[in-house]
Amino acid sequence: MLKYGGRFENYFSRHHVTHIICSNLPDSKIKNLRSFSGGLPVIKPTWVLESVAANKLLSWIPYQLDQLASETKKQPKLSAFGFKSGPVLDDLEESISGQAVPQSGIATLRTSCSLEANIFGKAECTEEVEECHSVSDDPFHPNAAESTDQAPTYCMENHCEVELDAAVVGQSDAGYHSHISPCQDPKSDHNDCLEDHIIEESSSSKTIRPSTTGHSTLSDANFVENYFKFSRLHFIGTWRNRYRKRFLSSANGFKDMNPSRNAFATSQKTTIIHVDMDCFFVSVVIRKHPDLKDKPVAVCHSDNSRGTAEISSANYPARNHGVKAGMFIRDAKALCPQLVILPYNFDAYEEVADQFYDILHKHCNKVQAVSCDEAFIDVTDLRVEDPELFARAIRTEIHETTGCTASAGISGSMLMARVATRIAKPDGLCYIPSEKVDDYLHELPVKALPGIGHVLEEKLKKKQINTCGQLRLISKESLQKDFGVKTGDMLWNFSRGIDNRLVGVFQESKSIGADVNWGVRFNDLNDMKDFLLKLCKEVSLRLQGCGLKGRTITLKIKKRRSDAGEPVKYMGCGDCENLSRSVTLPMATDDVDVFQRITAQLFGYFHIDARDIRGAGLQASKLESADRNIRGHEKYSIRSWLVSSPARKSSMGKDVSEHMNGAGKGDQLYSDIGPPVQAKGSFSGGEAHVVHRATLPALHELDVGVIESLPPEVLSEINDLYAGELISFISKKKEKNAGNNVMDEEQSLSNPLVPPNKDFVHDAAEKIKSSEKEDEQYINKMIQGLPETSGSVTALLPETDSLMPSSLSQVDSSVLQQLPEELLADVLVSLPAHRRPDFMSNDVYLDHIRDQTGAIDFLPSNNLWVGNPPRWVDNFRLSSCQLLNRIAVLYNKSSPRGQFSSVLQLIMSEYPLDDGGDDAVNCLCELMKQYIKLKIETDVEEIYTCSCLLRRLTSRSELFLQVYNCIIPHLQAAVGETYGGDLNICFIE
Amino acid sequence: MERKDNNQAKAPQGEAARILTEFLEVAISCIIFLKGVYPHGAFERRRYMNVVVHRARHPQLRDYIHSSVNGLLPFIQKGLVERVVVIFFDNEDFPIERFVFKVNLNLSYGSKVEQSDLEFSLRSFLIKLPVSESLTKLLPRGCRWEITAYFRALPEASTSKDSELIWIPTDTKQWQQPPLITPIKSMNSEPLGVQLYLEHPSLSEPKP
Repeated sequence: MLKYGGRFENYFSRHHVTHIICSNLPDSKIKNLRSFSGGLPVIKPTWVLESVAANKLLSWIPYQLDQLASETKKQPKLSAFGFKSGPVLDDLEESISGQAVPQSGIATLRTSCSLEANIFGKAECTEEVEECHSVSDDPFHPNAAESTDQAPTYCMENHCEVELDAAVVGQSDAGYHSHISPCQDPKSDHNDCLEDHIIEESSSSKTIRPSTTGHSTLSDANFVENYFKFSRLHFIGTWRNRYRKRFLSSANGFKDMNPSRNAFATSQKTTIIHVDMDCFFVSVVIRKHPDLKDKPVAVCHSDNSRGTAEISSANYPARNHGVKAGMFIRDAKALCPQLVILPYNFDAYEEVADQFYDILHKHCNKVQAVSCDEAFIDVTDLRVEDPELFARAIRTEIHETTGCTASAGISGSMLMARVATRIAKPDGLCYIPSEKVDDYLHELPVKALPGIGHVLEEKLKKKQINTCGQLRLISKESLQKDFGVKTGDMLWNFSRGIDNRLVGVFQESKSIGADVNWGVRFNDLNDMKDFLLKLCKEVSLRLQGCGLKGRTITLKIKKRRSDAGEPVKYMGCGDCENLSRSVTLPMATDDVDVFQRITAQLFGYFHIDARDIRGAGLQASKLESADRNIRGHEKYSIRSWLVSSPARKSSMGKDVSEHMNGAGKGDQLYSDIGPPVQAKGSFSGGEAHVVHRATLPALHELDVGVIESLPPEVLSEINDLYAGELISFISKKKEKNAGNNVMDEEQSLSNPLVPPNKDFVHDAAEKIKSSEKEDEQYINKMIQGLPETSGSVTALLPETDSLMPSSLSQVDSSVLQQLPEELLADVLVSLPAHRRPDFMSNDVYLDHIRDQTGAIDFLPSNNLWVGNPPRWVDNFRLSSCQLLNRIAVLYNKSSPRGQFSSVLQLIMSEYPLDDGGDDAVNCLCELMKQYIKLKIETDVEEIYTCSCLLRRLTSRSELFLQVYNCIIPHLQAAVGETYGGDLNICFIE
Repeated sequence: MERKDNNQAKAPQGEAARILTEFLEVAISCIIFLKGVYPHGAFERRRYMNVVVHRARHPQLRDYIHSSVNGLLPFIQKGLVERVVVIFFDNEDFPIERFVFKVNLNLSYGSKVEQSDLEFSLRSFLIKLPVSESLTKLLPRGCRWEITAYFRALPEASTSKDSELIWIPTDTKQWQQPPLITPIKSMNSEPLGVQLYLEHPSLSEPKP
């Protein structure tokens, strides 16, 4: 199935699933077919098999599920299949099956299964599972698959619905794109993925919707897609992505060449050329119409001369009439009645932009793209004699190749090059040498500087600053004070023509989103929800197109102001309130379902009437690369690592590996496009999904040494991928290597290989840190099982000594500290007997770490707390006073050790408390005093706890009352000295 | 000057100071939440170091806490800051309760800071804080609060960038008598030691 391009989907999704395959359906689903199938054909599995056998996509009509077929026969008019009306589909199928399908071994048949757990309620989930079992005679069961030698062994055991993607077959059909086309058709770029997605979605409806172009969300079901298809801003936005994919390699190339270039050191000598196409959007459209060249032309998406469509770009003759971008057509026509309005031609834009950059990259490898028609190039390293001549050559070539003109500005910095281009326009060239920078800047209006917008300009105007010359008179400090440190700095620098930015820094996009603020009208909340879903899809597709995932999701809503009437612009947004809400997820995502859930939630916060909504936007920010996606990536990297390790020959697992290889071919396709991750802790389906993307290398290609050193979790995961073959394979291998035939395979299987070093203890501890009780038990078991395991491992690998470290000093003490006491004891007990003494000395070491008091110097007079255990413990043990003896014993029981409060806590539970003499009181007082001295600076909390415990003890024992009375003045004095107050001692429970 | 700062930021103290300021921002927000100066709706639940904490929703409140604590960062790095105090005071600027963070940064500490260790220790504050409510005093209505920093020595006059000029003299009155101290939490994880304790007016304090 995979080999032929079919794919199994874990979750039902209208994007990916095209056919639902099953052999039986429960009654409830038959009755409610639409909600179950979402309008997709429900077909018997034999269709897949026979399609494979016929080597072409058969029409699914004869293979319809019997239960359904009878129903549709009864009601021929009520096509169960949504907007794909019957006759149209028939035509489509015919045209498809008429095509010569197989493209020289490239998989064309594409099936997908769907466990529809997400669209059904929980109650139905169980039913779903039952169903899975009932279809055990499914032809895609591994056994069957092997017999037909087509499906890989890891085909799902419990899949219940297989869906076949007709779209793939349509690949050969001219007007019918599919979203896996990038990997099948080497010509199409990956970054077209995005567009393809959109087209694919609309294409299914294209057949029945002959260009009924609606103009608002109300009338047009595919409004969102069309909106972006015809949007110029969208073109510019997505162009960046396209450019990056196309020229990224060369961009990286020069970065590597000059990694340590210092802006300050070379800024004197740099030569930067700024190239900007003249009124790009117009000149591209009219380049094939020389007759229009001198006539006023504007580009706009509509040519209704009374309309409120905005002009996006106008050529120079039109500009001479006062026509400007952003003007309504009717106003422009009033200014210039002979104005010719042309529509966008996005294909041409793309073509010209590519030519433009081809030329730039050809001449110079340091190119920074600003937009599709504007770029900086740094020619410093080329050592051009005459930059003007060089720029002229580029301009000529652009003109000859594209038929459009470009202007160029040359100067020492990006800022000045841009200023020069402004002067040069249209179709000119301007060179500002460094000594003339001041002259040019002096009269330049501040608005012309990059980074100065309306707001900043207004602020400056209020201060009577209109030109850079005036700006230069103001000190940096006062600029920083008025406009903030950064902006002030920028203003100061720019007004002097200082610009230290480097050419070639391609700015990564910080957020990806989709905004629609034209033509948005809703009748009710359901409309809005549908619209939001489409936005979610759009954003998700854009993210996938860029290979990114977002963590923060922001929903923006334009809400009509209550007093605002119908906007001047037809279907425009008018006067709106902008509302926005965002949420940050713990995990980055590009999943439509997640987006949908979050947006619905965010939208809920707004509490607004759907009729007041005039625009909506959804954005994903805090972008992360999708590669970092843990599951997929981890597998992937391990896989590539394994493959690169030298292949070893083995007779074992040969047929398995063959299978893997066979499957791998089909799989490779998927790993390239990286379908959206949908598995979210589902049934065992999740595993299969992963397998889809990661091609496993053959077992015999694996380097045993590498595998062995993997952490156990990873090892077991990989083992799962190989259906348990890995472990036995390794053990077999090892047998060979060791020449040891005693151990049989079963035994080695039962002894999972463990990396023989302290990492294991480490891992165990790590686990405990993050886990609950049941985990602890598990670890306990594991650790108790250590000696045996280590025994067997030792047998296997004579060179490795043992699992346990030879001394505790090798152990990461912070890990041991994290262990619960019982577990720590277990670990210590499990140490081999001959290392016990070792451990005893290390116990001290451990405690030493624990109380962190090593830094404090001890005077001879207060040395009771020196050492570990502190000296007083021995003193007390040897004392004749029973109470003191008892305290010394309690010290060893206390935890955390080294804190006197824990000793006092234990004393609290002793009953009865026997009294000692004055000696005992003095000893305890001295001990406490020294303890206070030790801790007062760093740990007043401990002192406080001790005092409170002591105070409680006073009610039980005369001795402690004496100690308390003796200590308190001393304590308060110490606290007063250090903290300027009195300790507020109270009872604590 | 700038280079020196950079070096300091890379030193273990710089790292510890950065973590400390971040922590202080969270902890102060939690204290404000705990004391109920603002309605509980003014806060939202967040997770910091894997503990549920409360963060102010109101941008101004959040900004006040953020900017005051971050304004301290350069001074903390230099070891100048001794105490950061959240003071709750009544209408007559008479302090009712003070939450004192006593900071001790070991400037001579040379080895690398274990960020996880430090965070683990600081986390205990955030766990202890919510359960220490019983130790605190009920505030009368109309209370106000402020963040005050106590320096070990007066900082030398610094450039505008350093101080951000956000610090203003406090109007809050001082107690006549030494206060009563109730420690809440102490920790010491080289190079940083932080202690949090409460200060209440002593019983002999003349009532205003």
